[in-house]
Amino acid sequence: MKRIIMILLPLLVFAANTWAAEKKLYLYCWSEYIPEAVLTQFTKETGIKVVLSTYDSNEAMYAKVKMTGKGYDLIVPSTDFVSRMGKEGLLLPLDKALLGNLGNLNPKMLNQPFDPGNAYSVPYMWGSTAIAVNSADPAAAGVTCLADLWKPELKGKLLLPNDQRSVLGLGLKRLGFSWNDTDSAHIQKACELLKPLMANVRVFDSDSPKQALLNNEVQVAVLYSGEAYVASRENPKIHYIYPPEGFGLWLDSLCIPKGAKNVANAHAFINFILQTKVGAAISKEMGYSSPNLKAIDLLPAEVRANPIVYPDEATMARGEFEVDLGKTERLYEKCWTGLKATK
Amino acid sequence: MKKQVQFIYAALIYFFLYLPLAVMVAYSFNASRFTMQWKGFTLHWYDQLLHDASLIQAALHSLAIATCSATAACVVGTVTALAIHRWRFAGRKTIHAVLFIMMMSPDIVIGISLLVLFMAISLPLGFWTLFMAHVTLCVPFVAITVHGRLQGFDPHVVEAARDLGAGEYEVWRHIILPMTMPAVLAGWFMSFTLSLDDVIIAFFTTGPTFEILPLRIYSMVRLGLKPEVNALCAVMILITAVAVVTTQGLLKERQ
Amino acid sequence: MKDSRLFKRLVLSAVLLWIVFFAFAPNLLVLLASFGHVSTTTFVMPALSLDSYARLLEPSYGRILISSFALSGGVTLICLVCGYPFAAIVARTSPPWRNLLLLLVVIPFWTNSLVRTYAMIAILNANGIVNRLLLSMNLITTALPMMYTSGAVVAGLVYTLLPFMVLPLYAALERLDQRYVEAARDLGATPAKTFVHVVLPMTLPGIVSGCMLVFLPAIGMFYVSDVLGGARSMLLGNFIRDQFLTSRDWPFGSAASVAMTLVMAVMLLLYWKSNARLAHREWT
Repeated sequence: MKRIIMILLPLLVFAANTWAAEKKLYLYCWSEYIPEAVLTQFTKETGIKVVLSTYDSNEAMYAKVKMTGKGYDLIVPSTDFVSRMGKEGLLLPLDKALLGNLGNLNPKMLNQPFDPGNAYSVPYMWGSTAIAVNSADPAAAGVTCLADLWKPELKGKLLLPNDQRSVLGLGLKRLGFSWNDTDSAHIQKACELLKPLMANVRVFDSDSPKQALLNNEVQVAVLYSGEAYVASRENPKIHYIYPPEGFGLWLDSLCIPKGAKNVANAHAFINFILQTKVGAAISKEMGYSSPNLKAIDLLPAEVRANPIVYPDEATMARGEFEVDLGKTERLYEKCWTGLKATK
Repeated sequence: MKKQVQFIYAALIYFFLYLPLAVMVAYSFNASRFTMQWKGFTLHWYDQLLHDASLIQAALHSLAIATCSATAACVVGTVTALAIHRWRFAGRKTIHAVLFIMMMSPDIVIGISLLVLFMAISLPLGFWTLFMAHVTLCVPFVAITVHGRLQGFDPHVVEAARDLGAGEYEVWRHIILPMTMPAVLAGWFMSFTLSLDDVIIAFFTTGPTFEILPLRIYSMVRLGLKPEVNALCAVMILITAVAVVTTQGLLKERQ
Repeated sequence: MKDSRLFKRLVLSAVLLWIVFFAFAPNLLVLLASFGHVSTTTFVMPALSLDSYARLLEPSYGRILISSFALSGGVTLICLVCGYPFAAIVARTSPPWRNLLLLLVVIPFWTNSLVRTYAMIAILNANGIVNRLLLSMNLITTALPMMYTSGAVVAGLVYTLLPFMVLPLYAALERLDQRYVEAARDLGATPAKTFVHVVLPMTLPGIVSGCMLVFLPAIGMFYVSDVLGGARSMLLGNFIRDQFLTSRDWPFGSAASVAMTLVMAVMLLLYWKSNARLAHREWT
């Protein structure tokens, strides 16, 4: 036995090391947010192997990046976390000389207050957080606005994101407040309003809510637009509703964290994503909206005209982009922990 | 009558223990992608599994960490057990109690306390932190197994060796270590399975540069049912079954 | 002689160093962290406050504590009630068969517990085996919602932890000297009385250690509640994990962990007491 261990040990260590010697990129991304084919294509073109790990909320990503320090080469935070992490010095300034394809992006999405001059971030995709219903279910078919989610007939039929901003946002919007409200009285009020809603919630999931919807575990889901897009393609009875009270919009950007080891590879990856063809492929497969103007032109008409992916101007006017809340975040967190423990 | 009731009861428990595994193996051959309806026999998912390099890498990482930490835990655990058995010193009982408490500690408590420790000395999470965490997890099990075996010893053997002029080191090398070997081996296997089975401690103590199989499965499971995961699990069940049967056979031959 | 003293010193200090660094230091740090304040830049601001413990007792958080203990307690009870007769049956089987039966209990727990939890989905799903069976037998008309309920979490935990209850119970029952049982019978005790007054007290250490091996991990197994319970904070484990990895409120998470350690300490005391009592009884 001892001999077997002695033989095995160096072999295994050796195996682990040979892998480590390859050209690599550690990508830390939202789950179901980048097509496998895009990663293989990148590896084929550059010889850089992508090691993907996933998260389901900005908070989880932030905590992990802060803790591990080194290890991740590329992350995809939402706007509020770009500004927070930028301020805390957790991000590396981008080298624009390496990003030749930057010009493909929609100028409206660049140079925003969360990251002036795009020092740290390059927009990856944007989308909305709204309601998907399975119209095969009579109770779900009746849902047209946020207030309907509280209806008792939806008991045990509702899915909410596992993300504090998205859930608190529902309460704030129903009360007519901002998605980014920082007034503690308003947050308190929204929190109280959300408590009875918890009786309707079957599951919290931001990873792959479409699964629960497609498997008939839930009939109504508050989810990100891309998830709704894939679900509606699989089951045409699933519809996506932009509630009249308003809804959240978000923009996720590619950033390089401070401790990144493979900085050049990370830049190569960003520049690769910025290609119009790649941008179009991602938007088509994931069902999120691309900030890449030229990529949108390459999309088939049914995607370009799909209101889930590219809502019209009037709908967009009701949406509100998420911004950093600073210290108020703690109030959201406190309410969120309490809500998740409510039966 | 009574015998029959007993038989049925035991059969029910085994049914409960094996049903989920059987169902999963069956579904790994199902051609349907999203739903659980049976749509015909296929080996497609196994083929996909073979081509998933990152999954295979995670599996190799798991084996590497289990081998390394089991071996290290055996060294530390055996030395600890021998020390508390052989020498009388202040704090001997305390060490024994501490080992027992460590063995009983819930994984989540071990996981977060080690995370806090690694953060306090700002160690980047990865192979080494996971290695140390798994060694910490396994040492008490090895130490207590080996200590149990040592208590069944005849102390006269050591005395006899002493009388014949053996020094402390020789006594350890030629008498104590060979006699404890079976317990050390049992401890090694126990540590190996503990390390392979662990999800919680690895969740807190490893980083992006060293992903292991359970964590990889965890992130796959969160994305819903996937036939590839079924196939992977079926392979793992097969490997375990073969390993268990062969070790049992080997042990029998030894006896 | 001098040589062996040096050897002894060397080995002993290595062992002690290891224990201090990996057993005492981490737990001490958690204890210290539980008295600290939240900080946005570092993980914990050193302080001496009982805030985190006070918050743990607030109704909204206290409920997590209580429901988590209730859930794990239920799991332990189910494991005990199902496992005891089973262990007794195994312990009374003749030796060659007995080893096979034991091996069959242990084999599933050599597959990763996460994999086994995952296997439960196929059974509890809306389109899963149980629902299909009930639907085809016309016992129900629409699929029962079983996934994402506390029942599913309990089922998953019982499934994962049952072997940990059976093995110590088996060990205790196998060691039980049948002569005591026979003596009680000869003295005219009914089977029920024999069980309560002879078998139960003598297997008490087995029961307590089995309960400990089920109850303590059950509180912490956050992935079972994640996969089968739908990410609600049903278990203290989920709560602690979220405090550390999502909310970054380390003092609060540490306080919860300290609370869990205290529960463990109480159970260990019970175990040692029951062991000591048994030893005393056999002595006299």
